[in-house]
Amino acid sequence: MNKILNVSMSRREFLGVTAAGASVFVLGVTLPFGRFARADTGNGVMNAFIGISEDGTVTFQNPFVEMGQGTYTSIPAIVAEELDIEMSALHIVQAPHGDDYKIMFGNTRRFTGGSLSVRSSYDSMRKIGATARAMLISAAADDWGVPAGECSTEPGFVIHKTSGRRRSYGELAARAAKRLPPAEVPLKDASAFRLIGKSIKRTDSFAKATGRAGFGIDTRVEGMVHAAVKQSPVFGGSVLAFDKAAIMQEPGVIAVEEIPGGIAVIADLFWHARSALDKLPVTFDDGENRHFSDKQYLQKIQSRLDDAGFTAEQEGDVVTALQGAAKTIQADYDAPFLAHATMEPMNCTAQVVDGRCIVWAPNQAADSVAATAASITGLPLASIEVRTPFLGGGFGRRFITDYVAQAVTLANKLGGKPVKVLWTREEDTQHDFYRPLTAARYRAGFDGQGNPVALHITIVGDGPFRRHLPGSMTNPDLDDSVIDGAIHQPYEIPNRRLDYVYAPVAAPIGFWRSVGNSHNAFFKECFMDEMAHAAGMDPLAFRRKLLADHPRYQKVLDAVSTMSAWKGKPWTAHDGKSHAMGVALHESFNTLVGEVAEISLEAGQVRVHRVYCVVDCGFAVNPAIVTMQMESGITYGLSAALGEEITIEKGRVVQANFNTYPILTPQQMPAVQVEIINSNEALGGIGEPATPPIAPAVCNALFTLTGQRIRTLPLSRSALPGA
Amino acid sequence: MMTLVINGKTHEVDVEDSMPLLWVIRDVVGHTGTKFGCGMGLCGACSVHMDGKIVRSCITPISAAMGKAITTIEGLSTDGSHPVQKAWIEGDVPQCGYCQPGQIMAAAALLNENPTPTEAEIREKMINLCRCGSYLRIFAAVKRAAEIQGESS
Ligand code: FES
Ligand code: FES
Repeated sequence: MNKILNVSMSRREFLGVTAAGASVFVLGVTLPFGRFARADTGNGVMNAFIGISEDGTVTFQNPFVEMGQGTYTSIPAIVAEELDIEMSALHIVQAPHGDDYKIMFGNTRRFTGGSLSVRSSYDSMRKIGATARAMLISAAADDWGVPAGECSTEPGFVIHKTSGRRRSYGELAARAAKRLPPAEVPLKDASAFRLIGKSIKRTDSFAKATGRAGFGIDTRVEGMVHAAVKQSPVFGGSVLAFDKAAIMQEPGVIAVEEIPGGIAVIADLFWHARSALDKLPVTFDDGENRHFSDKQYLQKIQSRLDDAGFTAEQEGDVVTALQGAAKTIQADYDAPFLAHATMEPMNCTAQVVDGRCIVWAPNQAADSVAATAASITGLPLASIEVRTPFLGGGFGRRFITDYVAQAVTLANKLGGKPVKVLWTREEDTQHDFYRPLTAARYRAGFDGQGNPVALHITIVGDGPFRRHLPGSMTNPDLDDSVIDGAIHQPYEIPNRRLDYVYAPVAAPIGFWRSVGNSHNAFFKECFMDEMAHAAGMDPLAFRRKLLADHPRYQKVLDAVSTMSAWKGKPWTAHDGKSHAMGVALHESFNTLVGEVAEISLEAGQVRVHRVYCVVDCGFAVNPAIVTMQMESGITYGLSAALGEEITIEKGRVVQANFNTYPILTPQQMPAVQVEIINSNEALGGIGEPATPPIAPAVCNALFTLTGQRIRTLPLSRSALPGA
Repeated sequence: MMTLVINGKTHEVDVEDSMPLLWVIRDVVGHTGTKFGCGMGLCGACSVHMDGKIVRSCITPISAAMGKAITTIEGLSTDGSHPVQKAWIEGDVPQCGYCQPGQIMAAAALLNENPTPTEAEIREKMINLCRCGSYLRIFAAVKRAAEIQGESS
């Protein structure tokens, strides 16, 4: 059993731990990926991914963070498979920041998100493991005076079958470290996999079931003080005045300091800091966003649904086809701002001492953390140390380093004292980077036989790419983060067009689990249902018909139809109530997910009884974790669909805690059944793709049950029969 | 000075008696397994036992905890051997793991009161929030924990 307790380690410590004594093997990978380098404490090789110590422990520096999605199991398992060790031999730590760990996108980036961890590193991780194994074999073969080709491995040992000799990796490590990494290594045949493709146990369950798993909030450093913060309630506002003297006598208070856009009280204990902050007289300059209201923004984007915008996709001639259609339908949709609501509120600990800055930060992008710290302290990146513990949820929130900036700003003023900034739930809810409020108009035309001949989509809104990663936009008019999940859809309709209308929003927006797919799947899959209805067809059969040339999608649809024993009509269930099903099919992050939701109404509230889910992610590296992520993604999407919405009045977020921003309760949790299809197509992501289809599946079921179309979320906003 | 008994150990703490038990446990005593999620008694991340009963420590002033036996996740067992922890590990319940100490304490308290809960009782009594969607695994693990506890008693 793995007992990972503290996952945060500096580069120095990594080399220190694995380089203790003479017998050590540290394998580094020179980037661009492909060439390997031996590393030892002397030559300053900094990009070591694995180290083997005398006792056979293999330390693995994971470039991906663990925030629930299983990267501390699936990623090391890929290495362990090729290196040929037991999972229990692994000691997993988080890699530091720096170019040496940028193993994504041609060695240019490293972050945890976009459902990319496994699929972006699968080949690299296999090669890392296989290369180390080859070096261990080579050392043993030399020792024994036999050809390397006669040697093989068993977990943790090199063996020479004909002579019956065996030697442990720990014993061989020192000599293996002196071998040159081979340029080419054979990879295992998939039929020999022990770990990849198997439902191996998570490595972090023990730590997480005993309370020993270290989260950012748990950081404790000698001499540490605590900070509570209050940011301008109107986003973009700034502190006008505050009366420090009024609270300096409160218990434990040490200092009151300004931070970007807010004020911090520093005290010996968090509770003292927070209590004093509540009493601190402070006024804010509300700034230019003081009139922002989500309702007005919604009206504004709704008024632009017929704008020409930028045509992102065009096939055939939509305008002519719609004009000549025997029947047309049109529907407008919108989806609200959403908060991430990670269970662990934003926090960060920082210390600036001896020309170095150490940052303990739950984060999804260590390089952004380091860059933030460097820019505030003026220190070079090499003097910044980022320590990444377990994350109490991420969902895209922890890409943005606003909370890091606060801690480093304070640490910079505290003369070497470490300081932990912790947000209250209220701060966390009101100072998030929200899933953008977005609207869309869908129009379809049918011929005389009810066949769809045209589909015209207009999406209006703003997106996190433009806001946070403008450099990643290949076309300045086109923000993929707004239209992902609407563009290039498989449904075979001869005339198609997608227009994107950019409508800048003043509110803070960010990456919310599944990003553009989160709203686009709702719009698109609800409209597919409306089209099926207009064509007089069963919604599942209608989709199937439009996917004639897309067997992979059809297979997912067929599987979820079979699994759910699909019913296109309401029926009376065992509980005596009328139940109905709804279906949605959506591809995101290279993964296809089909979901069927079975619902009923209880006192005007939607009750989701069961969700049937079929996923094709190419190949499931760990089927158990794929299943967990399906359950997780469905929960997250269902939570949003039923009751989540962030509203903004006078530039201020209205919701504050779980009583006003309700997340799914255990009592609302449906049964979930998951089936995995291994199509052996390219690897797809797993952390996000289950989220998009659930909202439309539930809304479509509601239509079948009641005849009422839901075109705005959350459902708690719509008056339903029986309320 | 106030005297608190946490996990069988007596602690003298010098803080105001209105301070919530959560912050005394985490920042004064230094047991960080108990988590802060909402501070309003809404999520259960801060759940601990007081004389065997579940309480939400973020809204429990320490004045109310004096003279009571407080148990945190660290005190449930030192090695993960409590039936609930065993079931949690066996079922790979935690995802991000942040809510799980609270969930485990809630499950342990439930089994103290009712060693053989039905599925409906589990669904009714396990009310702590989990943002990662581990609910189905939590329900199954409580059931399994009841079995493990039954086998060993
Ligand atoms: S932190 Fe105590 S109930 Fe949420
Ligand atoms: S496991 Fe992440 S909040 Fe429950």
